[in-house]
Amino acid sequence: MDKYKQAFLEEAGETLCELEAALLELDQNREDREVVGRAFRALHTIKGSGAMFGFDDIAAFTHNLESAFDHLRTGQLAVSADLISLALAAGDQIKTMLDEAAGVGAADHSRAMGILAELRDLTGEEVRYHPVPGPVVPETAPSGPQGVWRIHFRPASDVLLNGTNPLLLLRELGQLGRIQITVDVGGIPPLSELDAERCYLGWDIVLTTPSGLEAIRDVFIFIEDNCELSIEPVFEPAAPSATQAVQPKENPPPAPVAGASNIRVSAEKLDQLINLVGELVTVQARMSELAARRDDPEIQAVAEEIERLAAGLRDNSISVRMLPLKNTFERFRRLVHDLSIELHKDVELRIEGADTELDKTVIDQLNDPLVHLIRNSMDHGIETPDARRAAGKPPTAKIRLAAIHSGANVLIRISDDGRGLDAEAVRTRAIERGLIDAAARLSEAEVFSLIFTPGFSTARTITGVSGRGVGMDVVRRNVEALHGSIEISSQPGVGLTVSLRLPLTLAIIDGLLIRVGQAHFVLPLANSLECVELTSADVREAHGNHIAKVRGEIIPYIRLSEYFQMDNAPPEREQIMVVETDQGRYGFVVDEVLGDHQTVIKNLGKLYRNVQAVSGATILGNGTVALILDPHRLVQHALSTVSKGKPLAARGGRHSKSNGNTQSKGTTSYGTQRK
Amino acid sequence: MAKVILTVDDSASVRQMVHFTLCDAGYTVVQAVDGQDALTKLTGSIDLIITDLNMPNMDGIGLIRSVRSNPAYKGLPIVMLTTESQAERKQEGKAAGATGWMVKPFTTQQILAVVKKVLG
Repeated sequence: MDKYKQAFLEEAGETLCELEAALLELDQNREDREVVGRAFRALHTIKGSGAMFGFDDIAAFTHNLESAFDHLRTGQLAVSADLISLALAAGDQIKTMLDEAAGVGAADHSRAMGILAELRDLTGEEVRYHPVPGPVVPETAPSGPQGVWRIHFRPASDVLLNGTNPLLLLRELGQLGRIQITVDVGGIPPLSELDAERCYLGWDIVLTTPSGLEAIRDVFIFIEDNCELSIEPVFEPAAPSATQAVQPKENPPPAPVAGASNIRVSAEKLDQLINLVGELVTVQARMSELAARRDDPEIQAVAEEIERLAAGLRDNSISVRMLPLKNTFERFRRLVHDLSIELHKDVELRIEGADTELDKTVIDQLNDPLVHLIRNSMDHGIETPDARRAAGKPPTAKIRLAAIHSGANVLIRISDDGRGLDAEAVRTRAIERGLIDAAARLSEAEVFSLIFTPGFSTARTITGVSGRGVGMDVVRRNVEALHGSIEISSQPGVGLTVSLRLPLTLAIIDGLLIRVGQAHFVLPLANSLECVELTSADVREAHGNHIAKVRGEIIPYIRLSEYFQMDNAPPEREQIMVVETDQGRYGFVVDEVLGDHQTVIKNLGKLYRNVQAVSGATILGNGTVALILDPHRLVQHALSTVSKGKPLAARGGRHSKSNGNTQSKGTTSYGTQRK
Repeated sequence: MAKVILTVDDSASVRQMVHFTLCDAGYTVVQAVDGQDALTKLTGSIDLIITDLNMPNMDGIGLIRSVRSNPAYKGLPIVMLTTESQAERKQEGKAAGATGWMVKPFTTQQILAVVKKVLG
């Protein structure tokens, strides 16, 4: 039975989340019977399977709630805020009981009693908290003094339509002892009236068995109110006792297992699988390269087949790790519910795009930053209902949590309609704290990004929920550890939006292999837009600025050989890779673009943690290492090197995401400075 | 030919337990997560349905009624899973045409005993 317990614990955890979601939804709309039904079913499942897998205390505790919700379902009881809060608390209690069962912590059983006492006061129903009777010990056939029974059995004529096979019952009865059966055919009608789907027979049976009356009755248990049945002792033994299992066990032939729709696999095994697939992809790349060199069509055909299979295997195993954000997002309903009570603020959480899928590892590490951002919004961003009314806003504030796909990334936005962030206040504060120079001229986006500097906080008061100015820097660190980026936009008085950009997966990406001098690099394909030649005319026309004209659009570029300080003579023809970054479109000038490359990401290790422009490394087919470029951070870093080179105040350009022109100005200064 | 049993329950852990128990005993098991799912999987030769009563989308009672209204499965044995607090539901299930029932919590031996009883 133990092997099922783990499955039960996991499932109960999920069911609890569903329960919580239903309760919070019910809080919004108290009349919704459908939601009551969902909560009831969740409780019912926890109770039912709890008892089945031996968690009697959980089953007993949940039983009381289940009956309360049964009354809600039938309308005997009305939904109230108290009841919902109590049910939420009870859900938490079940959670601790489950944790205890899983060997984590200990549940406080007096708390369970407290919750049940409150429940009793609320519903006026008696509660009980002693384990419900566990599974009945399976019957064993007693061997002892033999009794003789006379049994008359005539099922109702429609018994076959209920799926009952009377023959099986007679056979089962025969297993209890020696049996003599006489069939009564008196009820069979003339052929013209006979209905083949009906049963017209009756049986008179004489049974010699050591089993008692109960065991004989049990044979007919499913149809006892749908048949004529009399069981009379002809001779009853004095003491039918002495239990001993002697029932012969029939072994049906083994059958193939079919139709398992879902299986649970430990995350560790999945990681192993991904690692192996990664190795396979690396080896396959090598194989393809060798095959290309051999010029043997047979080997090439095999190599291509392997390439196709490896790509399929890769996509499949990655999709196995993908989970919808739903569970993570739904959990925040509870957080918002609890916080709005604690802070006396009225907040409605809207969730969009919860079906968006992300790598499980990314999702796991996303929870903390999101909790922090939502707490921040609730605490600092959103005003009290009175203040909101005074500002002419609806008293109920809104927090929107939205996720959408964007290439190989997922964008998550947390927006609130609170008081927003005042760029001037942030600036003043940053100057106070000595984070920037008083004369510095910064764009709004740059000002807001100061919030992520350690030790920065604009909150006037420190509350129990958040404050003290720790956190936003940790949030940024967490997001960046996931190879993601974070950005704030805000309008004072209107609201604030935090956008997180996260990669779909951390394991394997499609990349473009490029060469600069002797070194190979991989550029994520999702960021790469196009590849054009950098002509000498372009260089001439730009008058020494690092700007190229691509299809009429002005693209500032970064020469990678300069950026990585490699001294090699540029080839006659250089290539520009146009990439999309958070800062807009940029070009990377490289010596050669070699083609696409399935890239298994390997971490660089602790030593290189602070390397800006590189997100990892990969091993090429011939065994050499290629660094994976992070275009966002490369551009960011290149720009900041420019800023450091000159005093901030002297910077002419502001770069913002939306404006292509000012962007190139900002980068122009980079180019000229380098020259 | 191994007998085919369709087990219907929205609780994966119960499904899993029923599944393993019956597979170990040599039956072929098809799983469904609710009544609707079960109806889509009710094709070809199914020898027995074991269904929970409380499920989303289509509950056990609805499933039993639908199955019984299909001439091809009129006499198919159906065992419902109930809890001791559901006396009325049990009656409802019987009226809808359930062959038998099992009271939760049940043990693996009990599953096998009931299956054997209705399936032989």
